[in-house]
Amino acid sequence: MSYPHSLKLMSLARSLILAISLVALGGATAFAQTAGGEPVTIGVSGPLTGQNAQYGAQWKKGFDLALDEVNAKGGVNGRPLQYVFEDSQADPRQTVAIAQKFVSDPKIVVEVGDFSSTASMAASPIYQRAGLVQFGFTNSHPNFTKGGDFIWSNSVSQADEQPRLAKYAADLGFKRLAVLYLNTDWGRQSQKIFTEAAKADGLDVVASEGYQPDEKDFRSTLVRVRDAKPDAIVLISYYADGALITRQIRTVGLTTPIVASGSIYSPKFIELAGDAANGVFTETNFFPGENRPEVQTFVTKFRAKYNEEPDDFNAIAYDTIILLAAVMDEHGVDRTAIRNGLAHIKDVPSVIYGKATFDPETRRVAGARAVYLVIKNGQYTLWDGKKPSAT
Amino acid sequence: MMQLAFAHPAAETLSSFIDYTVNGLVIGNIYALLAVGLALIFGVANLINFAHGSVYTIGAYVGWAAITFLHTPLPVTMAIVFVVCALLGMGIERIALRPLQGKARIAPLLATIGLSFVLDQLVQLVCSPDPRAVPSDLPDWRLAVGGVSIGPMDFLIAAVGIVSAALLYAFLRFTKLGLAVRATAQDRDAALQMGVNVNAVNSAVFAIASALGGLGGLLVGMYYNHIDPAMSFQATLKGIVAQVIGGVGNVPGAILGGALLGLTESYGIAVFGTTYRNLFAFVLLIAFLVWFPSGLFGARSAIHTEPLVGTFIAPSRPIRAPRWAVASLAIAAFALPLVTSAPYLLQTLTNAWLAAMLALSLTLVAGTAGQISLGQAALLAIGGYASALLAIDLGAPAIASVPAAGVITAALGALLVFPAFRLRGHYIAIATLAIGEIVSLVILNWESLTGGAMGLTGIPPLSFLGRDLNSNRAIYWTCLVVLVAIAALQTRLLASHLGRTLRAVREDEIAAQSYGVDLDRYKALAFAFGGFAAGVAGAITAHLYSYLNNQTFDSQLSLLALTMVILGGMGNVLGAIVGAVALVGLPELFRVAAEYRILIYGVVLLLLVRFRPQGLLGTV
Repeated sequence: MSYPHSLKLMSLARSLILAISLVALGGATAFAQTAGGEPVTIGVSGPLTGQNAQYGAQWKKGFDLALDEVNAKGGVNGRPLQYVFEDSQADPRQTVAIAQKFVSDPKIVVEVGDFSSTASMAASPIYQRAGLVQFGFTNSHPNFTKGGDFIWSNSVSQADEQPRLAKYAADLGFKRLAVLYLNTDWGRQSQKIFTEAAKADGLDVVASEGYQPDEKDFRSTLVRVRDAKPDAIVLISYYADGALITRQIRTVGLTTPIVASGSIYSPKFIELAGDAANGVFTETNFFPGENRPEVQTFVTKFRAKYNEEPDDFNAIAYDTIILLAAVMDEHGVDRTAIRNGLAHIKDVPSVIYGKATFDPETRRVAGARAVYLVIKNGQYTLWDGKKPSAT
Repeated sequence: MMQLAFAHPAAETLSSFIDYTVNGLVIGNIYALLAVGLALIFGVANLINFAHGSVYTIGAYVGWAAITFLHTPLPVTMAIVFVVCALLGMGIERIALRPLQGKARIAPLLATIGLSFVLDQLVQLVCSPDPRAVPSDLPDWRLAVGGVSIGPMDFLIAAVGIVSAALLYAFLRFTKLGLAVRATAQDRDAALQMGVNVNAVNSAVFAIASALGGLGGLLVGMYYNHIDPAMSFQATLKGIVAQVIGGVGNVPGAILGGALLGLTESYGIAVFGTTYRNLFAFVLLIAFLVWFPSGLFGARSAIHTEPLVGTFIAPSRPIRAPRWAVASLAIAAFALPLVTSAPYLLQTLTNAWLAAMLALSLTLVAGTAGQISLGQAALLAIGGYASALLAIDLGAPAIASVPAAGVITAALGALLVFPAFRLRGHYIAIATLAIGEIVSLVILNWESLTGGAMGLTGIPPLSFLGRDLNSNRAIYWTCLVVLVAIAALQTRLLASHLGRTLRAVREDEIAAQSYGVDLDRYKALAFAFGGFAAGVAGAITAHLYSYLNNQTFDSQLSLLALTMVILGGMGNVLGAIVGAVALVGLPELFRVAAEYRILIYGVVLLLLVRFRPQGLLGTV
């Protein structure tokens, strides 16, 4: 009926299409450049808003620190290195759009992210078909790198990490374990590996409880745990949820010792758990007190730049940029060169791995470092090898 | 995973039972605090306030700031939070909701969704997404009850909840302003005629409810020593469940509703384990809606008078796009890949076509048949898993598995929503929200079929006559063809007697019934057709992503679908597509704004609701 309206509609659609294509061509680029020449650009797909925004914020700190270092040394192949961070909210509908944006932008030579497997793996077919490396550094899903020969990851393999945690629990003298795990692909996978490893070490897993990422109340879960009579509670958690649980364990009056996976390693864990954090056993892939030069460089620079202690997510984000810079410097900055370079690069200094080398078959890095820790007086300290007195 | 916890000696079982009961009441306390505010707003403004959780979050952060920077003692902190959130509530009512008065009731609902985006994002921008610790200066003593203990914070939370409910009850019952509030709740126009300042009443109600919500956020933040900007959605969800159980709009009932919800969750954990917690909460909600729709204390008639016929959805004269315009738009859409091969543009539009299928499904159910569904994403999930499993386990080619998934979703969709058929208005919205959550929790827990949290990997790509469809163009055209086919079918359907009957059901169920319309049958038809469209969309998505898990189609997506439908115009086929293109396109457009884009998105949404509540193209 109303002629002007349909015109309006058409022009709306047209301007929408125009604007989308403009954004596609444009894109947001930022960040300091100290080396000369045309910058080399890494595309990052990760959460800056939404449920997981805090992890995207942690990544940025690690990335920026690594870029300062790389660019101060002259960048890659004499060109400054930079990244473009596209917010995906860790939503698969947005990661696929970002993937198309990156693969069609010739400036992007390698992609990094996304945060969750749900979001990352939905985009894998696009990266694989286009021949752009998708480098996931928090993607522990065992099938992530099976998406194709352009899908790589230096995320800490739970097949390494969890048996070590089980060994730590055994070394501490515990026999009966109650496991609380984050019910995501990462947590479920870790819980399975942990349980098998614990059994192999002769330990009993007497309870296994999966909780949702947005869960806040664990009191009833802890009654179940208590009734299973464990002599230690194992947390397969991130720092925020791990701290919530630790605090509630102590608030409800349980004195059972707590052993937590390395993913809780963060100053935030101690801040959020408060006094309850004291006595928690955990491990980490790096420790600020370690004498390895790559750890010292990272920790000192991180403290200087941000005036806070680095955590696990900062470290792996930092490692990733250093690694990719090394690959580009040695093997060139085109997409295929980077893919081939990942297969060939050897012994890149790494905070997490000491020296990182990929297995070209699995496209993963094995052998993350591990340090056993215990929290004392609100500080992470090296474990002194003493077994806790049984409760 | 399932372990029966009660396989202990009798004495221990009893003591554990007491512990679970205490724990259920403790968490129920917190739910009650949320439910009281929601119930007050619902009772007066007849509105599910999706921004309530955001006010709760802001209350927590205001308290955190006061404690951290001003070192305020608890009573002062509470007073600050109370005042700030009361002002915030008045602001919300004045700026976002009052201008919508007299417009369709669906408009304020959408406005609160837009507001929640804006408020949550503001908190995140100002305070960073990192979780924060909120220290409390309460004394550190514990009272042992059975094998567990309760502390001062538990008492404080319970006291605030119960005292505020009692005060509100007395206020509504015995004061003049309370009488005005009740009169406004019963019949706004009549109250207005009797000289009640309806705006002042609404303003007061939002102030009180928001102050309580903010206080709840602060206390819960202290309780857990943890606040984060993402805590609002879960809070809203649990608050809604608790207040429905207590009797929608009933303030004292909200307290009992919270307690009952807490107990159910706690016993659910006791018997089946932690992963089943929310499943029981939502099953309880459905049971209440079906058997005790007016809740524990709701007035018996509450459910039948709400909503008044026809006013839930904005009446308007739809804009009729002329045939040639629709046809040329369609041709332009088909021709686009010939002109450009920009993958990002094609992918964004492919996403929009898939979203449009979901929107078509919802616009039929919600717009045409009047059954507002907040669980539509569950249909995508069912379709996605059905097609993926047919392809992986039986080796079915996509050309067979995708339509089969559509049929399966149609059947399951109609069946699952069946319990909600006798409900109306907001109640259907709440029931479908719960059904959506139940589907997602079943997917998480039924590991042997769905892979649980690990999901399904290696879903084969779409293929046609033995050839994989891998190019962006082929995928774009496939989705567009399916979308156009569904849209054409739906247009045809709406023009038939079936469309007229569904609209009759929407406008007045009783009148429709007295003309011999079998309500259940027509609702089932609407959900089945809608289920087919959404199932096909989910199935195609599964093949494109190659990986699915329980988070791929989350409840936020259901909200997004409803937004698309309202934006385009309820029941409007072309409107659903326009809404989908706009809402998939806008966040991509705002990409340059990085962290600010969801904020901008929320503001745009608010402006659209404000100035065009009947949707861009109008209700059909």
